[in-house]
Amino acid sequence: MRLVIARCSVDYAGRLSAHLPLATRLIMVKADGSVLVHSDGGSYKPLNWMSPPCSLSIAEPDAEQAEAGVSSVWTVAAKKSDDRLIVKVHEVLHDSEHELGVDPGLVKDGVEAHLQKLLAEQIELLGEGHTLVRREYMTAIGPVDILARDAKGAAVAVELKRRGDIDGVEQLTRYLELMNRDPHLAPVRGVFAAQEIKPQARRLAEDRGIRCVVLDYEAMKGVDSGVPTLF
Amino acid sequence: MRFQANRDVLSDAVSFAVKLLPQRTTLPILSGVLIRSTDSGISLASFDYEVSAQTEIAAEVQEPGVILVSGRLLADIVSKLPNAPVQFATDEGKISVDCGSAHFTLLSMPVEEYPTLPSVDQPAGLVPGDAFAEAVAQVGVAASRDDVTPVITGVQLEIADNVLSLVATDRYRVAVREIDWDGSAGVTEATALVPARTLQEIGRTLGHASTIQVAIQNNDDRELIAFTADQKTVTSLLIKGNFPPVKRLFPESVDHYAVLNTGDLIEATRRVQIVLEREAALRFSFSSEGLTLEAIGSEQAQASESIDALLTGQDTVVSLKPQFLLDGLSSVHSEFVRISFTKTDNPNKPGPVLITSQTSREQAGSDNYKYLLQPNLLLR
Repeated sequence: MRLVIARCSVDYAGRLSAHLPLATRLIMVKADGSVLVHSDGGSYKPLNWMSPPCSLSIAEPDAEQAEAGVSSVWTVAAKKSDDRLIVKVHEVLHDSEHELGVDPGLVKDGVEAHLQKLLAEQIELLGEGHTLVRREYMTAIGPVDILARDAKGAAVAVELKRRGDIDGVEQLTRYLELMNRDPHLAPVRGVFAAQEIKPQARRLAEDRGIRCVVLDYEAMKGVDSGVPTLF
Repeated sequence: MRFQANRDVLSDAVSFAVKLLPQRTTLPILSGVLIRSTDSGISLASFDYEVSAQTEIAAEVQEPGVILVSGRLLADIVSKLPNAPVQFATDEGKISVDCGSAHFTLLSMPVEEYPTLPSVDQPAGLVPGDAFAEAVAQVGVAASRDDVTPVITGVQLEIADNVLSLVATDRYRVAVREIDWDGSAGVTEATALVPARTLQEIGRTLGHASTIQVAIQNNDDRELIAFTADQKTVTSLLIKGNFPPVKRLFPESVDHYAVLNTGDLIEATRRVQIVLEREAALRFSFSSEGLTLEAIGSEQAQASESIDALLTGQDTVVSLKPQFLLDGLSSVHSEFVRISFTKTDNPNKPGPVLITSQTSREQAGSDNYKYLLQPNLLLR
């Protein structure tokens, strides 16, 4: 990862043309070859960029450009098209390079895993008399988040999501179909538990006889909202 | 099937039957209105397994029969018909509707697949319509809209000693109202937890009747409640679960309170809250000079206003969420309002305030409405 802060103007030529007038910007040159031009704002969005595969070449300015104050011209050319990102650097204020290595990736289901642990500990949130059988109950097509028994001892399969949408209901439906073939478990009822359940998902779940349970993650964690309640 | 009905009567009946229909349903036949014509008139019904609406109107029936037709479409059509008798007839799977020079043809849905409507046999008791409608509106505002806790999205109805009390809470406030219950029909003690939204719709729809007949019954494992008035019946399944025992949160007696003009306090609260940020609370300082409302916490603007208040007891300051206060103030329905302060031993939780009606500065109201509100922590 090379980070360059420079006074520069940027042009994009090819399928569409765009021009960024002279200003101080951050230029990121990533290991995959991509080049991104950022301003000090706009969140994650670069002002302009070139996606890989592409190649970067740095050239001396011609006489006319040098006259205008350009110290070097960066040309990022896309491999698969004629698109080019041209950065005319007037002054480099910072230039550093860092080896970041391989990124482990985004762990999206951190909250989901925590929710599963918390719900297993607070299984009575499913209803009075519920008991935990186990987390990650294995079926032939994958693990069900939680298997529990209700007050009458009937099996309850729980699918946990942060945001409950149609896909989650479909997933639970597949598990339920399989689990209901097991004479030791059947009949298994489904519970779709999430911090937030979309109306369409709720409608589909209820139509299939799956109960919806909305979970309050903050309350389960024992975090006080700061607003006192009566009880 | 063939019948003729008065346009206004029919329009009223159709809009009643359609009002509680679900917006979208996974079973399209449930979006229909079931119309049954018999020698005595016609009945209209809708049902979605949770809530049903049934009504009967007089009509000139030429041929008895049953049809099922899209509810919202029929309601739209009937509400716009010219002022003339409306003629319904079935014709090879289609339904024709004629009124004056207007003619409509509608598709009919298979009647055989329609679920059996819940029947109501044994009435439990009677309530006065106007008081019931008022009570539902007063209490319903406090019901929770959060699906995390389904039991408190309902209004708890408790019948005991010729009194029906309605209770609702969202943990931040509790509203209670008691009205007369005529249990001579049979039931003198019962509880029922009814979804607040359904109950509010029932209050609006049936509140004009002089009395409303209430029935509670158990149909294979699911309990339901029925409200009947003016040939109109609405049934709803009850919410399962135990309603929290919130009535005991109310103090038995309070000697620390302020009496204010309700309208003045509502207007001042609405004005001062303008500068508040969302979810922020207003600061109410009660003293022998009156009440001062202050909106602080926003960098852009501050506001304050002082109004008259008759305080009994020591000076006190509470922090209240304006909307919660306004909900209570709008529900007392009296010229004056009493705000009572309760004591607390918990330093992290101010004592709740109790809002009750007051007919004059000195005279407490007699309507049994109580609204208990949890103040926020005082900042600064």
